[in-house]
Amino acid sequence: MADRAGGGTRPPLTGIIAGALVAVGVLLWMFVSKAFLFVAALGAFGPGILRELGWLRDHDEFQRESAHRAGYHAYLAGGLAAALVVSAAPWPRLGLDSSPEWIRFILVVLWLSWLFSAMLAYWGAQKTAARVLRTFGSFWAVFVLASLVGDFHMPATAQELFLGLLGVLVGIGVVAPFFVLAWTARRWPRSTGLALLGVSLIFVVVFGWNRHTPLSTTYLTMTLLIGPLAVSALGLLRERSSEAEDEGPTDVPSSASRVSG
Amino acid sequence: MSSRHEVRNHVRHHRRLVHDMTQQELADRVGVTRQTILSIERGQYNPSVGLALRLAGALGVSVEDLFELDREDGHG
Repeated sequence: MADRAGGGTRPPLTGIIAGALVAVGVLLWMFVSKAFLFVAALGAFGPGILRELGWLRDHDEFQRESAHRAGYHAYLAGGLAAALVVSAAPWPRLGLDSSPEWIRFILVVLWLSWLFSAMLAYWGAQKTAARVLRTFGSFWAVFVLASLVGDFHMPATAQELFLGLLGVLVGIGVVAPFFVLAWTARRWPRSTGLALLGVSLIFVVVFGWNRHTPLSTTYLTMTLLIGPLAVSALGLLRERSSEAEDEGPTDVPSSASRVSG
Repeated sequence: MSSRHEVRNHVRHHRRLVHDMTQQELADRVGVTRQTILSIERGQYNPSVGLALRLAGALGVSVEDLFELDREDGHG
């Protein structure tokens, strides 16, 4: 999640190892055997367990407090999601007995709540939103690139060439707004928050309810796609001002700050 | 509970005006991340007593010079 204590802005070694374990675990899980999911779990939860045991001391007190508070938020959100799933509709209609998607939905709510609470507490809304948007943009870019490469063939006519170029332009048009919003989030947080709220609503319309799609799939998709954008948007809208983060010895000092004690 | 306590801090003032130090330099001296120093200066995080003492030591002042308690009583 964060920089190593006293180590500047480079990614911490623990984070690199954990990220590699998650990536390898997911790939092995997808292409070799589902039993390899435990490798991803080692990367996702291992560092936290080691920190709680006191065997890994790479976080400072603010990082630990952010993580602990995020755990409580995840407990609240995950518990509420679980209660809603169980009580909101009759079990046969939800397919609770047959579909593991509801369990995935609750786990995704739990994990995203923890992740966003920790990121918002530690980085603040602007950095969090910028990182979320760059991640979204990168995922879309991979999809668009894969689609373009998959459909590629040498154009035989001017019309095919035109359609090919049009496809590239549409691809850029889909990906670029995420990176533009990531940039504006650091400069104009509230305007970007409003724009993000608009993007979230567009996603609701595009990926929203479809009577042919199981309810659990819809919930899962909405949570994964719209949750991060909407949370980032609300965080940006609550941002008071875009304070200078760092750092010049000649900067004018700010007045004393206040925190509820 | 009619009273509310708030903590005012002067970390930024002492770091910049008195010591001409960057957030990263102060973070390195007390063994935390720059983001933690930033959050303390912004008033988004109240450090533990231990970290407050380390900050005071690094800046060469007492903890009371860095942090002070405001009391806002319900009776004014």
